Amino acid sequence: MPQFNLYQEEFHPSPLMHVWLEFKRSHFALIGFAVLLLFCAIAILAPLLAPYDPNIQNTNTILLPPAWEGNGSIAHLFGTDALGRDVFSRTLYGCRVTFGSSVFLVLISVFCGVALGTFAGMSKGVKSSILNHLLDSLMAIPTLLIAIIIVAILGTGLWNSMWAIVLALIPQFVHQTRNFVREEMKKDYILLDKLDGTSSPRIFWSSILPSMFELLVVQGTMALSVAIIDISALGFLNLGAQNPVVELGASLSQSLEVAYSAPWLIALPGFCIFLMVLSINIVGEGLRSALRNRLVH
Amino acid sequence: MINLLMRYVNLLVLTVSVLVIFSFSLAYLFPGDTLTNISGIVPETDAQRAALEEAFKLNSSIFAQFWHYLENLVSGNWGVSFTSQVGLFEQISIAFPASMELTIYALLVSIVVGIPLGFIGGIWHHKPFDFGVVSFSIVSYSFPVFWLALIFITIFSLQLGLLPLSGRVNLLYDVPHSSGFILWDIWQSDIPNKYDAFIDAIRHLILPTASIALVTTAIFIRFTRRAIMDEMEKGYIDAAKSRGFTTKQIFFKHGLRNALVPILPLMAMQVSTLITNAMVVETIFSWPGIGNWLIQAIYQRDYPAIRIGMLVVSVFVVTLTITIEFISRAIDPARDKFERATI
Repeated sequence: MPQFNLYQEEFHPSPLMHVWLEFKRSHFALIGFAVLLLFCAIAILAPLLAPYDPNIQNTNTILLPPAWEGNGSIAHLFGTDALGRDVFSRTLYGCRVTFGSSVFLVLISVFCGVALGTFAGMSKGVKSSILNHLLDSLMAIPTLLIAIIIVAILGTGLWNSMWAIVLALIPQFVHQTRNFVREEMKKDYILLDKLDGTSSPRIFWSSILPSMFELLVVQGTMALSVAIIDISALGFLNLGAQNPVVELGASLSQSLEVAYSAPWLIALPGFCIFLMVLSINIVGEGLRSALRNRLVH
Repeated sequence: MINLLMRYVNLLVLTVSVLVIFSFSLAYLFPGDTLTNISGIVPETDAQRAALEEAFKLNSSIFAQFWHYLENLVSGNWGVSFTSQVGLFEQISIAFPASMELTIYALLVSIVVGIPLGFIGGIWHHKPFDFGVVSFSIVSYSFPVFWLALIFITIFSLQLGLLPLSGRVNLLYDVPHSSGFILWDIWQSDIPNKYDAFIDAIRHLILPTASIALVTTAIFIRFTRRAIMDEMEKGYIDAAKSRGFTTKQIFFKHGLRNALVPILPLMAMQVSTLITNAMVVETIFSWPGIGNWLIQAIYQRDYPAIRIGMLVVSVFVVTLTITIEFISRAIDPARDKFERATI
């Protein structure tokens, strides 16, 4: 018997859509998302947005305060630093380097971590056990400490500090992936795949990876905030980016010498790092609660 | 139990030996002369070089060298610093307690502030107060620790002039070094103006401790809040409610205790984060700790110091982690495996 249906268009949102619907219910998460998108835009468009070259030294205007202060000039929105470089342009380029390189290195470490973790999770025996436990206890060493040690070995520089942070971030992805793969391998739908004669790579690729994707995104946002803080901390300690590369942490430490006469030189780059990390954390928090609520409903 | 203990001892030995082998290979990996990297002495004559090579067994096989390296490590004969020619063991035994002091106080502050706030947030979750607690924890978790320290210096030292800018204690007070923990040393010593020195040391401690503790407090709040929320949703709480207990009784008799058991080891694990943050903050406040020392060593390309400093800090962190993991499994056998934090 045909049933009467008032609503002709049935709409079944996809799991991703569910997450988005849950996510956008929180206004703070949306604001954080907007700020994050702004930083993405800055990272991509910095050369178009910046009014000056970040390394050009204009000795006529040294230590100009920001435009909103009495003797500031609108030509230099955030003022100039001790060498007469435009702080607004430097901040934009700094965001580009700090944010861009952090995204880049998180992507690399997700890739390596998932590959290793899958291997560890799908293999059995002494070999995998040694790998797992060793990685677990090495993971206890904080990322920044590992990064400092690796930079001490490789020497300073942006690339070296990036490698260091990649190496330091990998274990947590290995750990997460391995645990997840272990859990999934016990479930019935994987058994079904196995009974059908599916090969291990295909099981991973078409059955496990899609369900792991959300976990990776959440873990990735956490790793991104850690990466930004670490890369700017290394820059601040003069172990990361060196001149002429403009990096927020490094420019913060360079302006320490004039901190008393020009406090905005410390406030602005630091505030940018803070805002970046804050927006990422808010988005990560929003994503986590969206995923949790989606499973509840 | 014995089985568990053996497994963790095994893990500890394995990890520490990986670290020791790594630090030994650093002598070869670092640029420059291996002899200088391992001993910290630049030989001036051929005779001295030959004597040093003999002393460090560099002419023997790599295994004999490693065995000798191990013996030296265990006996505290860690070589000398490349730049200052002072024994590394002596330097570290001064610098390490200074860092530990900062870390311990920050940990205490975080526990005292973080756990109660997390509890209140967890009980009244999704209420305005909880909203405030969560926002506070997200915001303070996002602070880059070096920037926070600089802000504190700018506000409290430069603008208001309330607290000292750097160092551990005013140079006026000549505190004899015994344990390396400044407050304890002052307490134990018999210098004339002990009380003033004590107050001065505390004033020096406030800013570094606060800037390290803020981030950890945020983490503790989230751990506690999530643990309480998860615990209060469980079936036995409902059962207790149905039997007519008041919320207060349920919370203090059941919820609190059961929520605390899993999160205490997680909090102890945060010591490693605290140490890292302390290392960064030390360089800002000129605190004579291990972080400041290690970073100075990196600036000066002091390879023996980097090698030993890295070994000491990482072995300490790994040992601490594995011990906490073991204790938490020993007191709570129900948990099958060590759980990572959920926030």
